[in-house]
This record gives sequence, C-alpha cells and structure tokens, in this order.
Amino acid sequence: MQGASSGVGYGLKYQARCISDVKADTDHTSFITGTLSLREENEVHLIRLSSGGTELICEGLFSHPNEIWDLSSCPFDQRIFSTVFSTGESYGAAVWQIPELYGQLNSPQLEKIASLDAHSGKINCILWWPSGRNDKLISIDEENLFLWSLDCSKKAAQVQSKESAGMLHYLSGGAWDPHDVNAVAATCESSVQFWDLRTMNKTNSIDCTHVRNVDYDTKKKHILVTAEDESGIHVWDLRMPKVPIKELPGHAHWTWAISCNPEYDGLILSGGTDSTVNLWLASTSTGDGMTSESLVESPTQLVDPLLNSYSDYEDSVYGLAWSSREPWIFASLSYDGRVRHFKHLS
Amino acid sequence: MGVDDVPLDDKAKRMRDLLSSFYSPDPAMSSSNSSKFASLDAINTTSFDADQYMNLLVQKSNLEGLLQKHVEMAAEIKNLDTDLQMLVYENYNKFISATDTIKRMKNNIVGMEANMEQLLEKIMSVQSRSDGVNTSLFEKREHIEKLHRTRNLLRKVQFIYDLPARLGKCIKSEAYADAVRFYTGAMPIFKAYGDSSFQDCKRASEEAMATIIKNLQGKLFSDTESIQARAEAAVLLKQLDFPVDSLKAKLFEKLEQLLQDLQLKREEVTNFLEDSNDTSKTTSTIDASVHEFAEAIKAYRVIFPDSEKQLIKLSQDLITKHFEITEQNIKEQISVAKFLGFLRVIWRDVLLMDEVLNEAFLPDYSLEAAQRVVKQYVAITFSHLLHDISDALIVNIHMKQKEGVEENPLQVALETSKNAVLKGSMDVLVDLRHLVDDNLGLLLKLRDSIVDWIQEGFQEFFRALDDHFLLLSGRNKSVSQAQGLTEGKVVDKVLAGLVLVLAQLSVFIEQTAVPKITEEIATSFSGSGVRGYENGPAFVPGEICRIFRSAGEKFLHHYITMRTQRVSVLLKKRFKAPNWVKHKEPREVHMFVDLLLQELETIGSEVKQVLSQGVLRKHRRSESNGSTASSRSNPLRDDKMSRTNTQRARSQLLETHLAKLFKQKVEIFTKTEFTQESVVTTIVKLCLKSLQEFVRLQTFNRSGFQQIQLDIQFLRAPLKETVEDEAAIDFLLDEVIVGTSERCLDPIPLEPPILDKLIQAKLAKKREQSAISL
Repeated sequence: MQGASSGVGYGLKYQARCISDVKADTDHTSFITGTLSLREENEVHLIRLSSGGTELICEGLFSHPNEIWDLSSCPFDQRIFSTVFSTGESYGAAVWQIPELYGQLNSPQLEKIASLDAHSGKINCILWWPSGRNDKLISIDEENLFLWSLDCSKKAAQVQSKESAGMLHYLSGGAWDPHDVNAVAATCESSVQFWDLRTMNKTNSIDCTHVRNVDYDTKKKHILVTAEDESGIHVWDLRMPKVPIKELPGHAHWTWAISCNPEYDGLILSGGTDSTVNLWLASTSTGDGMTSESLVESPTQLVDPLLNSYSDYEDSVYGLAWSSREPWIFASLSYDGRVRHFKHLS
Repeated sequence: MGVDDVPLDDKAKRMRDLLSSFYSPDPAMSSSNSSKFASLDAINTTSFDADQYMNLLVQKSNLEGLLQKHVEMAAEIKNLDTDLQMLVYENYNKFISATDTIKRMKNNIVGMEANMEQLLEKIMSVQSRSDGVNTSLFEKREHIEKLHRTRNLLRKVQFIYDLPARLGKCIKSEAYADAVRFYTGAMPIFKAYGDSSFQDCKRASEEAMATIIKNLQGKLFSDTESIQARAEAAVLLKQLDFPVDSLKAKLFEKLEQLLQDLQLKREEVTNFLEDSNDTSKTTSTIDASVHEFAEAIKAYRVIFPDSEKQLIKLSQDLITKHFEITEQNIKEQISVAKFLGFLRVIWRDVLLMDEVLNEAFLPDYSLEAAQRVVKQYVAITFSHLLHDISDALIVNIHMKQKEGVEENPLQVALETSKNAVLKGSMDVLVDLRHLVDDNLGLLLKLRDSIVDWIQEGFQEFFRALDDHFLLLSGRNKSVSQAQGLTEGKVVDKVLAGLVLVLAQLSVFIEQTAVPKITEEIATSFSGSGVRGYENGPAFVPGEICRIFRSAGEKFLHHYITMRTQRVSVLLKKRFKAPNWVKHKEPREVHMFVDLLLQELETIGSEVKQVLSQGVLRKHRRSESNGSTASSRSNPLRDDKMSRTNTQRARSQLLETHLAKLFKQKVEIFTKTEFTQESVVTTIVKLCLKSLQEFVRLQTFNRSGFQQIQLDIQFLRAPLKETVEDEAAIDFLLDEVIVGTSERCLDPIPLEPPILDKLIQAKLAKKREQSAISL
C-alpha cells in the first residue's frame, strides 16, 4: 500500500465536481476534468500521468463558457468529450472536440461538435455508449431521458427517442449497462429505474432512497452498485431487486460517488462528503449465500471489506475515475479543485 | 613285586580291550590310532606295522633298552598266549553246559501230549450237556414271553378304557397336570386306532380334555389365581398343542388396555393438577395404577417367558407417553416445580417398571427421553425470556405511545426491558438451578449436560436477542422482508426511539447483565460438563459482550442515521421547492428553521429519556474517527476560533473567505458516545453537513443568499445551546454560508442591523406563540 499513500496531486484553479478517464487514449493514462465556478472563467483540464507515474502534467487547458456540472470523455475518440453546464439560471449540454493543434496555440478554443439542446429542465448527466465506436448518447434531465445520435463529421446531434419519467420522479443520474447496451439505469428520488432503449419503457426498478450515484460492475453481469446519502453503499443483483446482496457502511456522511474497477471484480471505489475516498473489496462471487450472512454479520463476515481509506482531502469528494488503461490507478477530485492520483497496489 | 603288579593289571586291561575291539571293531578308533603309528604305543593298534616299530625301536633305544624291551616283549607274548588259552577253555565249558540243557528239555516234553487230549475230551462232554438243557427249556420260555406281551397289551387297553373316567376324576380333583400327562400318553394309540376300536373311548376322553382346556383357559385369565398356577396352566395348554399365541395376544391386549386406562387416568390427573396444586392425592392414584400395571407385566412375564420384546416395547411406550405429555405441558410454560414434579413421577414409574422388567433398560431409555425433554424445557424457558423482553420493548413503546398516556415512554420502555433482561435472566437461572440441584436420579445423571445446556442456552439466547433486536430495529431489511410473511407482527415503521432504546439496552446488556449472569453461572453452574475442556465452556461472555458492544454501536449509528434522514428529507424539500435564482428579498426567518429545531427537540427529548448525561467538555482529539480530521488544531485555538467565528458571522464575506484560507480544519466526524450531548452533537453536525451539501447543489441570487444567511444566523444560537462542540458547529454554519456565497451570482450579505432586526422579530413571534399555547 505504499503506492496508495503516495498519491500524486494536481490543483485546479477553481472548485470542481467532475473528472473522467480518457478511455480512448491508449498511450497514456490521462483524465479530463472541468471546473465549477459561477462567476469566473471556467476551464477544462486534460491531465496526463507522467511515464514514471510521479507527476501529473497538464496536457491541455481550454476555456469553457460555463461552469461544468458533468463531464465525460468519449470512449472512442480521445479528443471528444461531453459536458453539462449551467449559466446559473439555465442548463445546457454539449459535445466538444479538443482542437487539433492545441499545442501551438496560446489559448485554444474548444470546438463545439454538437449542442444537445432539447432539454428544458436541469440536465444531470450525459452517458456515452459503454465501449467502442457508436454514435449513441444518452442525456438525462430531471424528467426526461433522451437518446441522441451523434454525427461527428457533420457536427450534428439528433434526438432519436425521448421518454419522460414523469414529473415527480426527479431523475438525478444514471449508468449505461456495459453488458446489455439496451439497458440504462437511472436514479431518481425513491428508486433506481431501468429503461429499455429499444422501446423506451421502464422495465424494472429497485426501491432505494436518496441514491446519489450508480455504477454497473463491468466484469459481472447483473451486478449494480449504488451510493446513497445516509445508508452507504449497496450492491444489488438485478435478478433479485428486492434485497441488496451486500451492504457496505459507506462514509461518515453521504456517499456521493461510486465507481467499480474496470478489471478487478468486486473492487469498489467510493467518494464521500466526509472528505474521504474509500476502497472496498466486496466480493459478490458467493452470490445468494452471502445475502443472509452479510446481514446477520456472521463471523465469516468479520473480514473488513474496507481495504483502504484515503483521507487526505480538504473538502467533499465528488469526482472519481478509474483509469481503464492502468486499472490499478484512480483519480479523485475534491470540491476544492484538487485532483489526486493513487496507485492501489494489491 | 608291587612294581610288577601295576603293569600286569595294565596288561590285563589292554588284553580285554583288544579282545573287545576284535569283536566290535571301531573304525573311528582305528583311524585315530593310525594317525600316530610313529609312536611306540602303536603296538596296540590294528594298523600296527612291525617293521616300522622295529625301526623306531632300534633308532630310539640303546642296546640295554633294547634288551630290556626284548625281555619285556617276550613276557608279554607269553602272557598273551596263556590268556588266549584260558579264553578258549572257558568258551568250551559254556558250550558243553548248553548241550546238556538241550538234552534235558527233550526228555521232559514227552508226557505233555497225553494230558492235552484228556482236557479236550472233558470240554466236549460239558458242551453236549449244556445243549441238552437248552433244548429242554426252550419251549417253556417262549410261552412265558408270549404271556408277558399279552399282559402288557391288556394293561394298555385297560388304561385307554379307563382314560375318560380317570380324566373325569382328574377334573374333579383339578389335577390337570396328571390329566394332561395321561392324555398325551394315550395320544399315540388314539392316533393309530382312534377311528376303529377305541372310537368311543377316544371321543369320551376328548370331551374330557375339552373341559380341561376350558378350565385351564379360565384359570389363565382369572386374576385371582396365583401367578404360579396361571403359568402352569399356560405350560399345560402348550403341551396340549393349544394355540397359545392367541391367548398371549389376548392377554397382551388386556395389558395394553390397562396401559391406556393408566394414560387416561394420568391425563385426568394432569388436568386436575392444572386446576389445583393438590399433588398428594393425584400421585397416590397414579401410583396405584402404575403398581397394578407393573404387577400385570410381572405376571405376564412369568406366564410367557419369551415375551420380553413385546413387554419392553409396551413399557417403553408408557415412558414415551409420559414424556410426550410432559412435552405438551412444557409448551404451556409450566413452572420448574411442576416440571420437576412431572420428572419425579416419571422416574418413579421407571424405577417401578425397572424392577419388574430389567431387560428393558428403562432407566437408559428414559434418560434419553429426559435429555430431550430437559433440553427442550431449557430452550423453551429461554424463548419465553426472549418473548418477555421483546414484549417489554414493543408494548411499552408502541402501545403507550399510541395512547399518549406515558410521559416518557422511552424511559419506561428502557427501564422495563432492562428489568426484563436482568431479572428475567436471573429468574431463569434460579429456576434452572432447581433442575441442577434436584437430587432426582434422572436429573443427577444429566446434571453435567444440563449445566452445558443452560450455558449453551444463554449463549443462544443472547445471539437470538441480538437477532431479534436487529429485527426490531428494521435494520436488516432482507430478514424482515423474508420473515415478514410469517411474522405478521413485525412493525412496518420502526420508531427511531425504539432503536435508541435498543442501543442503550445493548450497552446495558454488555456492561451489566452479562457480567452478572456470568458471575451467577460461575457460582451455580460451573463444572466442566460433558463438552470437555478443549471446547471450553458453552457460555462465552466475551463473545456476547463483543456482539452487544458492536450491536449497541450499530443501533446508535442507526438511530443517528434515521434521524438525520428525516432532517435530510426536510432540507431536501426546502431546497428543491423554490427557485433560488429568482428568490425574493428575505422578510423573515424561513419556516424550515422551526421544523428543524422541532425535530432536534424531539431528538433531544428522546435522547434525554434514554441516554445518560455526559461530562460537559470540549471534544477530545483522540476520539477522532480520522475520517476528515487533520488534527492540527489544539484546544486553545479552538476557543479562540469560536470567539472569532461569532464575530466573523457578522463580518463581510471577503473576510470569511480569507479566514477560511488560514483557518485550521475542524474535525466534524468524531466518534459518537453513549451520552446525550454526543448523540445530539453528532446529529446536528451531520444535518449541517447535509445542509452544506444541499446548498452547494443550488445557484442563488442575492436574495436567496441573504435568506440562507438569515436562517443560518438564526439557527446559530439555539444549536449552540444543544451541542457540546460549539467550534465545530460554528465552523459548519460558516461553511454553509460560504458554500451559499460561492453558489451565489451576486453575493452581497445582509447588513448586520437588518439581520438582527429580522432575527429579533422571529424571536418575538416565537415568544408570542409559546405564550398563546401556554
């Protein structure tokens, strides 16, 4: 765990909420992050981990017109990413492209490929097709789910289909199932809803309140992890949506972000408003057998699922991202704009 | 001449040796001698070589020696010659005497033949005479034998003709044994000639036998007859080839009937026992019937000696039924005394039966059954205890809260359940102690096992209690959902107060109840038991303490979570509803503050009922959970900071920003203790942190920001009153304001005078309201 404690730091100018792994960059371990400042000039930072892994280098710095609430990198083109931004009064979402020759320009401008401007309410997040080249995008606002078809060359995005979740559900986020590209999980006030993109119908739902974040297990089908305000982290098997198969205590305050490791099964990273990042090992392999045991806290369960707790933060941690290139490295972003890279050597 | 004598003797001996060797030449000797022919002694050997000897002699001796040797040798030769002569003479003498003897024998043998002939003649005459006698007596003997046979036959015929009469006589005198003997004696004849000559006779005797059989049966079944007589009757019937098995079955049925009667009586008795506690009378009636049964079994055994198996089964049935009844009774929660009463009765019965039927191993059998029953009894006792405790909890909290009668329902619930745990456990121990202390034979043998069961029982009980607590707290959703169907009474909405009571109760169990129980067990239920040392005692207080310590913490945490969740909902509503960007100028402190304070008040009152008051102090650094704490501040600075904080609240925003840069981080998430202040502080801290997070998600205009500023300013005073860690609260309140200003498009705070005015207005309004309500 020596590598774990010796994290590498990087400071943003302003507060920030979101960080994303640049999946398409196969040569470097890089992340992209954007600031959240209401009154200042916002920036998008492209950060790369130096080859020795000892330094975080700013690979690109681009100005962004508004404060960024959500940011995700395109899985097939390292120069494309999406943001959800707010002017303070209204929300917008767009897909951007990093300019070709940005190294030579002094203050490079981002090229807007498409504006996802069909929304009316507060936009929560944009989801890219889980892996590989596909033109599908999903954007979620408080009431609606939009499926977009993006044409990079024509620089246009069209709404393919749209479905309203209903006025009172207040969608807050979502995740695209990496095992079944037709399924999307969307979190709302009192449940996690599952949508089938072909029919745009709700297929299933899990009742759990105050879900902040949700992530699919990339290695195992049917496994979903949710982060909840007060009640910590729950691991669900979608075939048995009544009862979680595992419960993790989460954080001293809310658990805000959650991320499953792209390679190692059961390795879960969570970030909380108590200014810590916790690394859990929640093996789901025993499946049903664990259900009862985990709840009765049997002696076999005494093995602490908490592998490590990184507490060297000054403020709440909202952003988390595993590197898909080097899956033992993750980046975390606390509200005060500090990016930290950790190597978890297990 | 003495000198000469010795060689002479030597010579004689050598001579004899030589002679004997001549008759029986020994090859070994010759071979051994041949090896040393080179010496002068070789003269005596068979392989004597005269030339060699001569050479040797000539070489070795001088002339004088040779001469001497010559003389010596000549004398020896002479001697040898005389000896030889004498030997010949002797032999000849012996030959002559032998010839004489033969001659004499020949003479004596001559008269013998005549004597032998005479002897033969005499024997012949004896033989002829005996033949004569034989032939003269033969006829008479044959006749006598014939007569004898006839007489025997006649006697038998006579016996058969007399049989009916004789049987009749036997019936009259009840000499059934004789009758049976007679009849069986006559049977072969009847079988051979029954159809022809002795038809009448046979019929008559069969009739007589029928009466005898009837009489015998009657005798067998009559209880008045002595057992001996009945056994005899059974044996006789068996001899008559009567189907005894059916009789046996009949008699056995009778026994079973007796057993059922006994059972009925007993059930009546137990019912009776329920009603009144007059045991003396009931036991006597049971006693009598059991005695009767034992006697019957004894009789049956004597009558049918090969019937043990059935009897064993029967008696085991009896014991089994006993235990079944006891088990049924146990389910209705009977007292230890009563339970012991049952066992005592059973044991007495067992002993009685054991005397009669030793082969049934009834004591062993009943020991097994008793083991089961006692174990069940112990288990049921504990389950009742569990039930009582949960009743104490639920009834007090749910019922009384509904009625609204009790002032402090939580306190009452806590006290009663504490009482239920401690006193209930003690009562159980005292009760079960009776089981161990009782000197009933049955229980004495089980003593060690009982001790183990009681210890195990406690272990299991506390585990079950923990599970039950979990169920009550509704913490483990899946279990309650899984059991929700079977246990309909599981409350849907778990009251937060109950969880708090559970938390405190867990602490109580860990710190008070378990040590006491451990002590009690150690004094009265020590003893290694059957488990043996390697397994250790069944009751492991350390483990129980650990379980309840963690449970207590869990419940406390759960309580805090439940409470903060409610506040979160409140805050969420507050921040979702208005459009903060278009907020109007603040006119008064917002309603939600009242709601928040009200919620905190409820928590305060709940906590006050259940938890103890902690020592008032600033929180210590060492208790930090380490979650967010960078413990760089020291208590001195804390104090200073709280002072500066209050001033800063009224200061301008820039100052706040600057101050934040230099301010040390305050620990927010510290370990919660089981004190009123600690719990309330934790909840307030969490709520404020939530408030901060909600604020960060919004965007405010100037008025919105000012509204928040106003609300927070109003909260500051009442919150600080309730908590023990003022610095942290100040810090968090400031954080909320900072967070709001960061999320504000135009962060210009309210002027302090206006702020004060609005707060005073709110306070005045509050006072007014409370005055009205009073």
